[in-house]
Amino acid sequence: MRMGVTEEDLEKLTIDELTHRFMDLVNESTLKLIEGIEHLTEENFEKFDENLNYVIETSKEIQIKKKFESKIFKSKLMFSKADRLKVFSKINDIKNIGEFLANKMLLYKVVFPDEEFKQEISTINSSLKIISLKITKAVKFIGSDLTKAHDTCEEIKDERRGMRKKEFDLLKRLWNYDMDYLSRTFLYLKELVEGIMMLADHIKNFSEYIQFLSTKYLIFR
Amino acid sequence: MDLNLGGILTILLIIMGISLAFSIGANDETLATLIGAGVLKFNFALMAGGFAVGFGMVFLSQGVGKTVGADILGPGVNYSIFMLLAVLISSIAWLIIGSLAGIPLSSTHSTVGSIFGVLIIYSLFQGGVNPANALNYEKLLNVVLSWFLSPFFGLVITYFLFKILIKFFLSKLKGLNQIEKTERRMKWLLLISVLFAEIWVGANSAECVGIFYGLYNSGSISSTNYFVFVIICGIFVFLGIYFAGRFVIRNLASQMTNARPSEGLILQSSSSIILMIATFLALPISHSHVIVFCILGMNMVQDKEIDKKAVGKMAIYWFLTFPIAAILAGLIYFFFILGGLY
Repeated sequence: MRMGVTEEDLEKLTIDELTHRFMDLVNESTLKLIEGIEHLTEENFEKFDENLNYVIETSKEIQIKKKFESKIFKSKLMFSKADRLKVFSKINDIKNIGEFLANKMLLYKVVFPDEEFKQEISTINSSLKIISLKITKAVKFIGSDLTKAHDTCEEIKDERRGMRKKEFDLLKRLWNYDMDYLSRTFLYLKELVEGIMMLADHIKNFSEYIQFLSTKYLIFR
Repeated sequence: MDLNLGGILTILLIIMGISLAFSIGANDETLATLIGAGVLKFNFALMAGGFAVGFGMVFLSQGVGKTVGADILGPGVNYSIFMLLAVLISSIAWLIIGSLAGIPLSSTHSTVGSIFGVLIIYSLFQGGVNPANALNYEKLLNVVLSWFLSPFFGLVITYFLFKILIKFFLSKLKGLNQIEKTERRMKWLLLISVLFAEIWVGANSAECVGIFYGLYNSGSISSTNYFVFVIICGIFVFLGIYFAGRFVIRNLASQMTNARPSEGLILQSSSSIILMIATFLALPISHSHVIVFCILGMNMVQDKEIDKKAVGKMAIYWFLTFPIAAILAGLIYFFFILGGLY
């Protein structure tokens, strides 16, 4: 169960701090999702349910989002206002995609076809964890050091590149199983792999947006 | 006032001169940077800017007004009401053509070109003056030279000021918070530079004050009336910004919300330096030409691509302004002469 934050606590935070707090929550949620998938591979359905229910719980995020929106609307920030709002909405999209994936995964309890499939899922999960942690770091660098934010995003893109091949290998494996292609297991695993791909792709796109911001604001370097 | 044709036309000229002051305010876009950066509330910014332009026009425009209204004329030559009327009709017509073509033409170039055309026709057909003596060619040459030099120096000053700002401040900024904080401090400097620029925009509004100086110099109005009309012009330039300029300014400002105050600061500082020097030298120059070249200077520093086609088109119109306004005004005055109105 998540602990709420008081309105007064949030009021004291700056726009930057609210963004960081929001990113931390979304990262935590993504890590819970990854952990939940690991539990699924271990067929620990109780822990799987617990983790994914954590992911779909959004009250704390909504509270921060509302505070952020009201603060940025009134803020005296000049030229960066729209960019900061966009950064926040891109973080929110990570949360939305994760939540969507978690809701779909909770529809059924799948049993994986073999150990290789489980291992490959774990491998792409590790990459997803790396890019989730790195995007959190990159978001925090936007305010303090755009060069570091840019470099961290480059690392995300490298990791994503390697991840994509593994995802297609996994899909190829799935499509070549001797299995009914309308079976729940097939459809579930397909949705799972594609969901992870969608989440990773969004993080990659977000990192490209951060690089765009770095280029835009560091024009005089 | 005796309401004969001369009296009626003098009143018409006064109304046109005051309308010109209103239109100077209505077309002044200088405040857009300030509002785009969110430095002042919209109405308050309009009032502050309007007051600055009005102040410049009332207290600092005499030198430039005298150049257009008297010094540019040859020895012993004075404006008649019909000459001034031809000048105003021609410069307004050419400005309308420029607006329809979407080119920011200079009302200063247009006015001085019209004066040239009218005086040549006057010397050829009416005044019995040798065209070589109809104008103070030395003064005219200085004015025309300043039209080439002012944009060039605007570009150079912007280029170097921006380079210095980048080297010592902007290049050292690392994160968005630091950039935002520095730019927030600059907005106060931007406020000062914009208001400073507005003062010199008002002070260099030769086309408006020059008409009244011409009327005063030709004896159509007294010196007291001249100052009263200049004050009225100052009030009308304020009203022009406040009531009509707000639409252009709001439109431009909404496109400038991403602009950094540091860029606006350099642009406005450079253009106001040029306008101030020109005003002290009593040279009427074009603010829009200076600001366009200042923007070019800024783009050069940032290695931004310059739309050479658009600049070329603009330059052609700029070069054409003087001769076309001269021909147009000359023709109008020629028809006045044919009708016995001189």
